[in-house]
Amino acid sequence: MVRNVKTVLALAALVFTFGWQALAHAQDSMTKTLETGTFHGKVHSTSGRATIIQEHDGKLVLRLTSFKTSNGPDVHVILIAARDADDDANFLKSSTERVELGMLKGNEGDQNYEVPDGTDLSKFQTVSIYCERFNANFGAAPLEKF
Amino acid sequence: MKEYTGSWFSRRKWILVGVGLPILVAGWWAFRPEKFWINQVVNEPAPFASSTDPQPLYTGRLEGKVHQTSGRATIYQTSDGEQYLRLTDFTTSNGPDVHVLLARSDDENLGQEIVKSQLDSVELGSLKGNQGDQNYDLPASVDLQKYNAAIIYCERFHAIFGVARLERF
Repeated sequence: MVRNVKTVLALAALVFTFGWQALAHAQDSMTKTLETGTFHGKVHSTSGRATIIQEHDGKLVLRLTSFKTSNGPDVHVILIAARDADDDANFLKSSTERVELGMLKGNEGDQNYEVPDGTDLSKFQTVSIYCERFNANFGAAPLEKF
Repeated sequence: MKEYTGSWFSRRKWILVGVGLPILVAGWWAFRPEKFWINQVVNEPAPFASSTDPQPLYTGRLEGKVHQTSGRATIYQTSDGEQYLRLTDFTTSNGPDVHVLLARSDDENLGQEIVKSQLDSVELGSLKGNQGDQNYDLPASVDLQKYNAAIIYCERFHAIFGVARLERF
């Protein structure tokens, strides 16, 4: 009886170890790159790449890489319902629809932003680095299918 | 009895300070001029970046030249250092002796439809199909800084079907 229990426990441990590893690996490779684009912005010299990544649980993340912009007051990362945007474009005046992703974490370097659930990427096609205080677009990255 | 002997400025000093200081503070708050020379650098890791998966190095959209060509060209590097070009959402016209090449994006031939002078390029192989996702191995030690464009090229007629200028991913 005791031997049986021991065998079962050993088997369970084996199954748990390998099964968990396989599951973890499956989750790893289920991260998917959906869209990507590069920033342009001359007035505030914005450059780098914006990429939308889908995580294994379906959540969308915007990732900025090789990113650089000018530092400024109250700068946000937003998605706008437009194909592209000019330097210093004012989305308040043009009443462009937008999705807020948060305050810009840094004006240089790699960074991630959560995209709210239910954001329609076929509508919000451009990432903008936007100064809320002066309603000015620092830089825009039109996204295209990866 | 108090006598006002000071200059106009010293008599109104406190009024000037009282008005000027809030204006200065408001101006600083609005413009944050110190941010002009202070950088805020962040370095977050990629979400769920798996080191065993091939990593994209360069990518670009294909643009049609002689023939309608569209899709994406991406250069990946595997964990053991091998590189390959992958075409996705790819479509071009079928043709005779069509090849996939890497070329220099500053090559003036890429601005034209038909190549007239010597094309400085790296051969990746015959086009496997005119539609669909496909991979092409890169020869070892290709200088991707130099050969930074992927082209779909018809060897028989020296015609450029499509060009993708590759940018760092």
